[in-house]
Amino acid sequence: MNSNKVQFIYENKLIELDNPDPNQTILNFIRDKLKKTGTKEGCAEGGCGACTIVLGELENKKIKYKAINSCISFTPTLHGKQLIVVENLVSKNGSYHPVQEAMAKYHASQCGFCTPGFVMSIFAMSKNRKKNNEDDIKDAISGNLCRCTGYRPIIDAAKNLKKTYFDEFYKNSKKTINLLKKIHSKSIIIENKNKKYFAPKTIGELKKVIQKNPDSDFLSGGTDLSLKVTKDRKEIKKIINLNNIKELNFIKIKNNEIIFGSTTPLIEVEKFILKYYPDFNNILRRYGSVQIRNVGTIGGNIATASPIGDTLPLLLSLNAKIIIQTKNGDRQIYLNKFFIKYRKTKLKKGEFIKSIIIPIYKNHNFKAYKISKRFDDDISSVCASFNLKIKDQRIQDVTIAYGGMAEIPKRAKNCENFLKNSKFSEDIFEKAKNLLKKDFNPISDMRASKNYRLEVAENLLIKFFIETKTKKLFRVYQ
Amino acid sequence: MKNSDNYISEIRPHDSSYKHVSGTAEYTDDIKEPYDTLFGAIGWSKKAYAKIKKIDLNEVINSEGVVSVVNYLDIPGRNDVGPVFDGDPIFVKDKVEFFGQPIFAVAATSIELARKAVLKAKINYIEYEPIITLKDSLDKKNLLFDVRKITKGNAQKKILSSKHTLKGNFTTGSQEHFYLEGQVAFVIPKEDNEMTVYSSTQHPSETQQLIAKMLNQKSNSITVLVRRIGGGFGGKETNFMTAAICSLLAYKTKKPVKLRLDRDDDIILTGKRHEFFSDYEVGFDDKGIIKGLKIKLASKCGMSPDLSYAINERALLHIDNAYYLSDLQVENYLCKTNTSTSTAFRGFGGNQGMMAIENIIDNISRFLNKDPLEVRKNNFYKKNKKNITHYGMKIQDNIINELFEKLVQDAKYLKRKNEIKKFNIKNKIKKKGIAITPVKFGISFTTIHLNQAGALVHVYTDGSVYLNHGGIEMGQGTHTKIAQVVANSLGLPYEKVKISSTNTAKVPNTSASAASSTTDLNAAAALNATFKIKKNLEKFIKDKYKIFSKEEPIYKNESIIFGNRSFEFKKIVMEAYLSRVSLSSSGFYSTPKIKFNKKKFTGRPFYYFCYGAAVSEVTIDTLTGENILERVDILHDAGNAINPAIEFGQIEGGFVQGQGWLTMEEVKWNDNGQITTFSPSTYKIPAVSDIPKKFNVEIYKKGKNVEDVVNKSKTTGEPPLMLAMSVFFAIKDAISSVSNYKKIPKLDAPATAENILLSIKELKKN
Repeated sequence: MNSNKVQFIYENKLIELDNPDPNQTILNFIRDKLKKTGTKEGCAEGGCGACTIVLGELENKKIKYKAINSCISFTPTLHGKQLIVVENLVSKNGSYHPVQEAMAKYHASQCGFCTPGFVMSIFAMSKNRKKNNEDDIKDAISGNLCRCTGYRPIIDAAKNLKKTYFDEFYKNSKKTINLLKKIHSKSIIIENKNKKYFAPKTIGELKKVIQKNPDSDFLSGGTDLSLKVTKDRKEIKKIINLNNIKELNFIKIKNNEIIFGSTTPLIEVEKFILKYYPDFNNILRRYGSVQIRNVGTIGGNIATASPIGDTLPLLLSLNAKIIIQTKNGDRQIYLNKFFIKYRKTKLKKGEFIKSIIIPIYKNHNFKAYKISKRFDDDISSVCASFNLKIKDQRIQDVTIAYGGMAEIPKRAKNCENFLKNSKFSEDIFEKAKNLLKKDFNPISDMRASKNYRLEVAENLLIKFFIETKTKKLFRVYQ
Repeated sequence: MKNSDNYISEIRPHDSSYKHVSGTAEYTDDIKEPYDTLFGAIGWSKKAYAKIKKIDLNEVINSEGVVSVVNYLDIPGRNDVGPVFDGDPIFVKDKVEFFGQPIFAVAATSIELARKAVLKAKINYIEYEPIITLKDSLDKKNLLFDVRKITKGNAQKKILSSKHTLKGNFTTGSQEHFYLEGQVAFVIPKEDNEMTVYSSTQHPSETQQLIAKMLNQKSNSITVLVRRIGGGFGGKETNFMTAAICSLLAYKTKKPVKLRLDRDDDIILTGKRHEFFSDYEVGFDDKGIIKGLKIKLASKCGMSPDLSYAINERALLHIDNAYYLSDLQVENYLCKTNTSTSTAFRGFGGNQGMMAIENIIDNISRFLNKDPLEVRKNNFYKKNKKNITHYGMKIQDNIINELFEKLVQDAKYLKRKNEIKKFNIKNKIKKKGIAITPVKFGISFTTIHLNQAGALVHVYTDGSVYLNHGGIEMGQGTHTKIAQVVANSLGLPYEKVKISSTNTAKVPNTSASAASSTTDLNAAAALNATFKIKKNLEKFIKDKYKIFSKEEPIYKNESIIFGNRSFEFKKIVMEAYLSRVSLSSSGFYSTPKIKFNKKKFTGRPFYYFCYGAAVSEVTIDTLTGENILERVDILHDAGNAINPAIEFGQIEGGFVQGQGWLTMEEVKWNDNGQITTFSPSTYKIPAVSDIPKKFNVEIYKKGKNVEDVVNKSKTTGEPPLMLAMSVFFAIKDAISSVSNYKKIPKLDAPATAENILLSIKELKKN
């Protein structure tokens, strides 16, 4: 059974929208329809955090709180969730939430325009974990820009929260959970004027929707897709939201391989992969803000096929494979063969990525580096990933991939071939680095010049050698 | 009136803090619109320098929801929003001068429909070769004004006779304001062609006047209101186009219109900080003392004069920073380019001038193989000699020598410098650097007539107070501080004073909230108004209660103590009212002592100076250029701060903004003049992980303004931005260590990872 109703919880009530506009952002819904203006538009691209709201979602009988950018999320994606905006943090009797109290007490607002976003990011952080250290705090607000304070008082406020965990939301949680359970669990089909939106529940349904609507756009995290509306001012006529399909959102280990369902949010990937590949976790921490990583998915990052998608060089160097759902069943393909040219992949119309398979290498040296203008929430000028196996001082196996160096994320084949079976030594790496010029011919753009990209790519190879050899890290961000 | 009594130093949250945190603080876009409100969008040029050959707006006009389309033909009066000089047309007539210049605008039934509609214009251009870079403009002598020359003594002769000389050049980059609230206006037309204008501006009076001129109406028909703005930093000091176009749309449609630029348009259309290039020759002795300095100072002004003349003037006035320059020769070039107009930005040219001299001092130190600390100290202005600036002003409040020395001790600069040298010997990949830099920043508008302010204070019969003044609340806490001093002056609790929207109908002819002067000027005006009300009350009490005491009455604990008697404030104002005594007054203030001859470049342009110093320690990665700010120690002079918590906020926030300017923020244009960094995905301002890992900030405890400024305080608006100079020179120090401190690195600002790596490469090459 399908439904055209989007249901969510707001101010302890179940709200129902009939056929809402699939191109309307949650931000505009909040400001224009709910008439709550505390949530601000700062950039309309998920880059400043002024629009941050929190969604409560039922996970294992508990409510999990996720900060997201409401400016790049569409209204129908509210379905099944609890919507919390900054005004809702003030309790009915007028008392402020501990996060709000701390922000005021520690002088954490000046012009105040970014403040609601910070309040919401810190609120979500403090609701999900009782104790948060300075790194947790910095991560939680890494996607919130403030131009006035210099952040120090905001960090102080977040360090000095009182009784946040056991707040009104905690007290109300039973009621909220009951309300969340009342929300219909049907597949959603919306028709709003000339626009359609589908949120199927199973892969079977998804296939049917695709068959009937082959010209649809897939929405996974939507952090890229939504920009068509908010930046290009275009309409997206047909959207298929993949996030309600449980079969696509999973993590498992099988045959010494990690398998991620394609719609697994990056924040989950990041947590899981820490044990296996600490640098993968490092890079994902810097992939984007918490708001972005909460919704952005690993499959989405692959299908978008951006040359600067941060997971891609890492997956390439780890010899990852993907499973693609085709008309005639599943197809497995090495990621190395997947990217064709700028933002073009081997995905045919109507096909989608089901899962990503990453081998677990036990005795390899895996390291990854991201170079960008800013540590937090920035796009790479160069991202490099190295996977190397040494035996008896010789390089037995090596896979090297770079992002930001070509129109697609790409392996450094010449460099790899030279290194393979060579001695693991400094002069070999010094020679190998010169081959990167053969592998790549990067462009100059607003992020970095061609020369810088090439030079850094070479230097990162050397850095990888030194770090592997000395078993020490030489990084400024430690 | 003397401000010499009743000083306070009272920590209190920003007046709107609880509204900020709960989302109830109202910004212009949050004002509830009447049902028939229309929404605007601007159609702008896609060429940097061209003649419009043909323009076809038919599809725009017929686009869904469009109610009105306006262009230059619809302007009844002046088609220009240049604040001092002409040059900023509201709409282009036929020649476009930058990529993003407004050509037309629409009003439609929704913001989405308006924004979609403007994209449908069909415009044919005849393109000319644009001038985009500062270098190109300077080479072609494409200047907005004649070259300005400043001469003191005989620099050429002194350089020739100096033991050492150095030559070089240096660039500091542009910067986008990136206030979180973009440009926005909301205009409601009223009877008799009156307009109520809500605008996110630092300058309501000029907004009012320019709209009046555009509509060919009197200023008294336009009222501009501003409760608060979501950050300004100079970016809303001029940039009147948003309010002007919004008003024109409201005038044309006779309906309320809201016009909000989205982030991309905001960055593409509006002004930024001036890029500065300097070319210098300096002569100095063994101690690094500058004997003569010749410097060419060129700035990228964009397509119009805007405030560039005043900004360059402030650069010239700060080319000394805290150093005595006996013989100086400066040539100043204001270069026109086909880019959006460069405009005010915290520091207002002062910071660019100061960076030029700091870089020279740093290079002298490295040339002499001396610690830059020593060379800085050797060149400082002294108290009783070497205390006349290059514009002939005697410095009477100099505290830089002792403030600097205190910070050297507090931050353990010398010990750490030694440790860093040891670290650098041991480490090949990571290198550390440290630097201490001073700040001396002149306070007052250098255009003398702007140094005035007005206020309006009412006392109601219940003893509550209504406060209005010309200052704009942009996050700096001016409303809070002024309410604090007014409450203190009346002996009332802060809560009794109501802060209100800045309103051109209440306080007229105000100056922009700029030049760090907002609180100094407006608090003094508010105290003047309060003083007049107090005089009325005192006369009334004297007459009614026959008090012959010659002692000044004391206002304390909601009472007036007068001649051994105590009068409850609330009761006495009611009594005064019943006896027909005025309880309301306007107030006025103009800064004394200042005088400046722009032509001769002499006089006293500043009422006083702010001082500060900072030590920064960085680590750089010599393989990638990545860097991190390990520790910062700041000692800053805020005089007798009214509200230290607010001053700390200004100091830290200003520092981080300066850090962004000097290390990571890069505005880039491609060859055809299109800006390529127009959103947060491409333009990076500091985020939380960029701030110093250790951040020690102190207000100079001995600080007290020697001049008669409210509360003996000193402003903290712009000066802290320049504390970030220490970050840049710490990076340069770290780079220099690659050559074992033997060579002078060539490093321009911003010191991005890319520029750092380039500098290291050059250093290794030579």
